[in-house]
Amino acid sequence: MRELFAILFFPGGLFLLAGGMMYEWADHKLIARLQNRVGPRWFQPLADTVKLLAKEEVIPSGISTFLFIALPIAALAGALTSALYVPLGGLAPTYSFHGDLIVALYMLSLLTLCTGLAGSNTTDSFSLVGATRTLTQLFSYEAPFLVALLGPALAAGSWQISEVNTYAQSHWLLFLQPIGFIVALIGLLGKLEMPPFDSPEAETEIVAGAMTEYSGRGLALFHLGRKVELMVGLTLVASFYLGGLGNPIEFVVKTLALLLGLSVLQSLMARLRIDQIVGLWWRYGALLVLAQWLVLMLIGGFTS
Amino acid sequence: MSAVFQTAITKAMRQIRAWARINSPWAIHFNTGSCNGCDIEILATLTPRYDVERLGVKLQGSPRHADVLICTGPVTRQARERLIRTYEQMPEPKFVIAIGSCATAGGVFRGCYNVIGQIDEVIPVDVYVLGCPPRPEAITYGMVKLLNKIKEAKTEAADTL
Repeated sequence: MRELFAILFFPGGLFLLAGGMMYEWADHKLIARLQNRVGPRWFQPLADTVKLLAKEEVIPSGISTFLFIALPIAALAGALTSALYVPLGGLAPTYSFHGDLIVALYMLSLLTLCTGLAGSNTTDSFSLVGATRTLTQLFSYEAPFLVALLGPALAAGSWQISEVNTYAQSHWLLFLQPIGFIVALIGLLGKLEMPPFDSPEAETEIVAGAMTEYSGRGLALFHLGRKVELMVGLTLVASFYLGGLGNPIEFVVKTLALLLGLSVLQSLMARLRIDQIVGLWWRYGALLVLAQWLVLMLIGGFTS
Repeated sequence: MSAVFQTAITKAMRQIRAWARINSPWAIHFNTGSCNGCDIEILATLTPRYDVERLGVKLQGSPRHADVLICTGPVTRQARERLIRTYEQMPEPKFVIAIGSCATAGGVFRGCYNVIGQIDEVIPVDVYVLGCPPRPEAITYGMVKLLNKIKEAKTEAADTL
């Protein structure tokens, strides 16, 4: 019963959707203030979502209609499911078992995979290029990001998110594993497809990337999935590196601080080309995170 | 009793939909053969100096994502078909803002052999913003005028609200 309430209302479900919208607004407002302008009003993401749900949904011909309608739903479902394993709102995760770090990250990747598939399920070339870029980017940042999140897991001696969260509350891994934190922070930018890694949705180049043909409800579900991904990603990185999330106040303060860092990075940097992204991650990202792991192994070897 | 309840619900849903559409007008921009003067002013309107994001206006790449078509230029014969196709790709409800004297009445190109003359001979227009080119303040005023028009439900697409 408690799990059902958690899935539908709090801290998953409706609370998560509303929280995702507020974090999206905070991100846009911060970027706007950094660009010396006023920025959107607080209800803007809600108005966007309701407007999209109230719009006509155009289904292109010559493609698989079932996939066209099912993929946004699968994407949002993946994002909402991954939220059940992270300490949302500073409370204990609804479900917890050994190895749920991998499950949560895989569910987040499900969202990106569905976006890539949705772009491939098309007859026009812009969506295809966007899908290719989405999947290429997924292929490049996923490994270093996962290993950067495994650094705290190695230090805590467990692959269970709640145990890492508990361990992180007594050890501020931001200072103990700074390289891992940097890789995780920039990996979060890549996962959320925010500038400088927004090449899959480059409006100036490929119309709207993988989501070119989507309108109305499908687009609304994809956008909601992105907002949920933002909140879950922030929770994970803040929980692992910023000293664990023990209570709601800590949750709000730490995730907003991390969001401020993300917004600053977003407004500072220009978009990277897709080949630059792959080069960056497979060269420097992988090297940095392996160096961090080497340090961890050596220290662990000396102290145990 | 239940009929009253149903009409109350319908009325509330209409108001929610109208609120969402007024507060989130996503735009795309299309140039039907203009000299680019109006397009430069539209670009300027979308910059941080005039900041239309506080009205909810976001520039989209794909017509499928947009509610408002911001259109410039007298429609050349070559652009006419593309304009119709772009307009038809936009999902309902959709609105059109015609920017500049060329879009309204042909401007300096009126009477030319390769030009239709005005946008509302091709697609239905909701708001005209005059000028050659109109300043970004005028374009912003045109956007606000469109939002007010939707609020009073006096547009071509009124019966879908």
